[in-house]
Amino acid sequence: MADDIHRIELRSSNLDDLRSYLDGAAVTFGCRPVARQEGVEYVVNVYAPVGDIERLRFARNVPGVTMNVLENTSEIGRTWQRRVRTGNLFANRTAPTGLGIKE
Amino acid sequence: MTYPFNVDEIEAALDSLALSHPAVTELITLPHATWEGRASHALRIGSPSASSRDTDTVIVLGGVHAREWVPPDALVNLAADLLEAHSRGTGLRYGSQYFTAQQIRSVVEEVQLVLFPCVNPDGRHHSQTVEQDTNWRKNRRPAPHGSACVGVDINRNFDALWDFRRHFADDSKVSASDDPCDPEVYVGPAAASEPETRNVVWLLDRYPHTRWFLDLHSAVPGIFFTWGFDVNQTTDPTMNFHNPVFDGQRGVKGDRYREFIPPEDFHSLQRVGTRINDAVAAASGTGYALQQSYSLYPTSGCSDDFAYSRHFARPDQGKILSFTIECGKLQQPETLEEAEGVIREVCAGLIALCVAAQEERSERARDDVAAARKPDAMVTS
Repeated sequence: MADDIHRIELRSSNLDDLRSYLDGAAVTFGCRPVARQEGVEYVVNVYAPVGDIERLRFARNVPGVTMNVLENTSEIGRTWQRRVRTGNLFANRTAPTGLGIKE
Repeated sequence: MTYPFNVDEIEAALDSLALSHPAVTELITLPHATWEGRASHALRIGSPSASSRDTDTVIVLGGVHAREWVPPDALVNLAADLLEAHSRGTGLRYGSQYFTAQQIRSVVEEVQLVLFPCVNPDGRHHSQTVEQDTNWRKNRRPAPHGSACVGVDINRNFDALWDFRRHFADDSKVSASDDPCDPEVYVGPAAASEPETRNVVWLLDRYPHTRWFLDLHSAVPGIFFTWGFDVNQTTDPTMNFHNPVFDGQRGVKGDRYREFIPPEDFHSLQRVGTRINDAVAAASGTGYALQQSYSLYPTSGCSDDFAYSRHFARPDQGKILSFTIECGKLQQPETLEEAEGVIREVCAGLIALCVAAQEERSERARDDVAAARKPDAMVTS
């Protein structure tokens, strides 16, 4: 089985530092390669196999860029897969009810 | 709600909601079956079918990327909440975000909302059932001859600078690949080659009065507005995506090329994006980032850029302002409570978008009446 994929958060106050960090890094982005602004910092989420995380931590050492591993998306996904029903909650044509409070 | 829905449940939920609320819904069968033979459906919430092509429309997509399980569930939840509140004549609350009964009625009866919750059902089913592929993103297009690599990224397959090698600079690092074995951003063999993509295009064609388009993904969290091609600029209309003079120059940060967006569109996107974000924050206590979708590197072939680009490329098309929302903080919430929290904040944001669309329609109607009453108008009529 392939290595589990982890979601990693990169932070920096400078977009160019983030680009320097990411240039040549063996990571993938999520839906699109965006850096969201959070106060004075830019935050990028990237994905990498577990085996590449330490390599990334040391090989891509750019001052001003911090790295945090957020989640093992493979493991969480497998946990949720076990909760996916094989039946159909709405097979009897009962309409779903939403989470909003009607008042 | 019982997160997560499987593909059959999403389809059955739409069918059940249409059956329960026939006066204000229409179950739409999309024309293109997926590679694995699934029929897809959208749900229109709004006025009777006879006038649906002339009504201001908001189109919202979910489930384009297979592994993002929250968006389809959120859109089913949104439909259920709106329809139940409308039928009972109540308002609707998410956290401290409250929509009045009048707002709910106006959204349902004066504009229409077209929800396409699960654009990529083959991919979702694969992600939910194949243990080693829970992170699957693409659709399930069969591998090309001589290859074992399956799938196309639907959100790189739209006809919006799809031919990235021609349109973008070599050093732009555009987020796209023409390698079928790229697990993330393979653009497909041609623009709109995929049935899932063509279903979305068909919806945009079917509702020519679509004013707003939103593609719901997870997770950043952020609200992103067009363009994804390059940094926006509002002063030079000739510097734009369909001007071939700039082929090979787009997508590099800090160079001369920037993508034109009319200032009124830029301000509308910021204004309505802020309203969406305010509702998200009121529902959950924390807002999302609101910014242009280009920041680090460009993208090609994305749904939001395609929807907005249509009226530039073809002047007979109406203008559609578009967003992508990347909801929640985690690709997969760790608990049911987290998933439900994201669903609530998404619903609040999307209803705020619909309220803004309805108010915009009312303002336009008032302007039309005022213009008709002017003496000049009376003379010319």
